Amino acid sequence: MTSLIVLYDPLCGLCLRVRGWLEGQPKLVPLVMVPAKSEEAHRRFPHLDHAPTIKDLTVVSDQGAVYYGPKAWLMVLWALGRYREWSYRLATPELLPTTRRIVSLISQHRYQISRAAHLSR
Amino acid sequence: MTVEIITYLVYLAISIGLTIWVAHTLHKNGRVFLVDVFHGNEPLADSVNHLLVVGFYLINLGYVSLALKLGYNLATAREGIEALSVKVGMVLIVLGGMHFFNLFIFSRMRRRASLRHAPPPIGPDAFTSVGEA
Repeated sequence: MTSLIVLYDPLCGLCLRVRGWLEGQPKLVPLVMVPAKSEEAHRRFPHLDHAPTIKDLTVVSDQGAVYYGPKAWLMVLWALGRYREWSYRLATPELLPTTRRIVSLISQHRYQISRAAHLSR
Repeated sequence: MTVEIITYLVYLAISIGLTIWVAHTLHKNGRVFLVDVFHGNEPLADSVNHLLVVGFYLINLGYVSLALKLGYNLATAREGIEALSVKVGMVLIVLGGMHFFNLFIFSRMRRRASLRHAPPPIGPDAFTSVGEA
């Protein structure tokens, strides 16, 4: 695996803020940020079902492995030099259910969070 | 020489001797860890090892120096030995703490280095074909 393509929601202020933070982080695996359902996303993955990519963060490896939602977040953490340890910690059977709950909660309320925190798109 | 002066000199001799011994042990046995962490890059491992030992010396000798002052008078040899045992005991505990702190740093560096080539934490949900970038 030499790079991860991150399909993010370009309409959400929180997502854009996180994207900016990710760009400044040291990486063990390069992350390529592509807006979900964009022309580029369709060009890169012509046979992917793009409907769920706008609902949840989606990460696709350069070899075509697809990760949705919480798994996508774990893959992003795994790619970061400072947080790779956390990706294993959060993926343990004891913590994975909590990880899933928290990630889906943030994901479902991302527009409300963006509005409350005044994160413009 | 008064009991105080003898106590101080013995204290300094024991503490400095112990510091040198622990630093030497650390230097000798930490090298293997560091060579592994830096993937066999021996000059870098030696350099980091040396820098860690310098820090170890500075902190320990600084503590030994700060803790020298007794603050009360010693009349008998018995009081001298008791004061000495308290002082040396404190130095030993600080040395022990510093030693474990160094081991912690070594093991953390090693873990970080092994993570660099570790596989993803979870398996994918699906597979898709990859088009042009």
